Amino acid sequence: MNNPQKFPSLPRAIDHGLANCEVCGKMTQVLARRCPRCGTALHLRKPASLQRTVALLVAACVLYLPANMLPIMTISELGNVMASTILEGMVEFWHRQAYPIAIVIFVASIMIPIVKIVALVWLCAAAAGKVRPSPRILGRIYWFTELLGRWSMVDIFVVSILVALVQFGAYMTVTPGPGALAFAGVVVLTMFAAMSFDPRMLWDRLEKMTATESPEPDTDHE
Amino acid sequence: MPEGSAARCRRCGVVLYQNRAASLVRVTAFSLTALILMGIVNTFPFLTMSANGIKTELSLFRAACELIREGSPAIGWCVAMFTMIAPLVMAGGMLYVCGPLLFGRAAPGARHVARWLGHTEPWNMIEVFLLGVLVSLMKLGKMADLYFGVGFWAFAALMLCMAAAVAGIDRNELWDRLEVAAE
Repeated sequence: MNNPQKFPSLPRAIDHGLANCEVCGKMTQVLARRCPRCGTALHLRKPASLQRTVALLVAACVLYLPANMLPIMTISELGNVMASTILEGMVEFWHRQAYPIAIVIFVASIMIPIVKIVALVWLCAAAAGKVRPSPRILGRIYWFTELLGRWSMVDIFVVSILVALVQFGAYMTVTPGPGALAFAGVVVLTMFAAMSFDPRMLWDRLEKMTATESPEPDTDHE
Repeated sequence: MPEGSAARCRRCGVVLYQNRAASLVRVTAFSLTALILMGIVNTFPFLTMSANGIKTELSLFRAACELIREGSPAIGWCVAMFTMIAPLVMAGGMLYVCGPLLFGRAAPGARHVARWLGHTEPWNMIEVFLLGVLVSLMKLGKMADLYFGVGFWAFAALMLCMAAAVAGIDRNELWDRLEVAAE
């Protein structure tokens, strides 16, 4: 199954005008317009999935810069104001020899957002037919982007906990910085991007690639 | 399909459908427990910190409120959404849908609630918040004395209950049962 050429050609719902409800999973004739079981609007494929995903990814990439360059919180201690970015927070843990926590922050705040954006870009490229990866890997990557994206929120929660806990008047206070908003934006946007991506586009593309020898009429994606 | 078994996709090998054992009873029990724990989390102290004779207290409510007060209302509402509103909708919704289903009935409006359950699930981040608490503890470690309250332990239990409730039932099974009950 690692070779797209050996990919088995299975019957697809789209060829029979059947739509899988995105909410409850019921298979219905798409002509019904709405799912008879849960009432959600039916589509053969999520509408404008590729465009929406790419737009959300571009927005996430734009926000990624301020998220990492601006401080996520400022600590004022006895008049000393110290602003720290996500990277500085991680480096500080590393210097204090708190390696596990430094690694957790690195994975959750730096690695996962990057990996997620790269993975989604790659999935979009595969859905658009620009790259030809194996179906098994595609499935894994999609699963990964859906599962792990939320863990990036950990740094935002740390800021909220510190802001609530460290309120000692003139002695020491913590206030949220502008980077936190940008970072929360990156996480939320990449989550929306993963949700608006329709993985069935990948299998459509694969189906088309294996069927290139006998060209068939282009299926309309709704 | 026999209880406890699963069907997998022929293309990518992902689980398609699972028939989980005693699913409705489990979901009802765990979501009811989760709701009770939410009450405990929000009434008892979560984490207390004392430094230089000043005591501050953390609660989920305060974590969101302080952000809104300190000039970041957008993040404050995000935190409130991810740690309080989404889990509440999830647990309450699951109880509302699965409780009556135990007796073969569909609660009024159950299909709308079930629809919302699907939309809310990715935004329930209590386990991520717990990791956030851990990281914060390491950050504050030497600065002050920290005490865990009852609320913290209830929150840890809440995380396990929510995970168990969500894992208790397969989406397809829930909708199949709702469809049968509604007829």
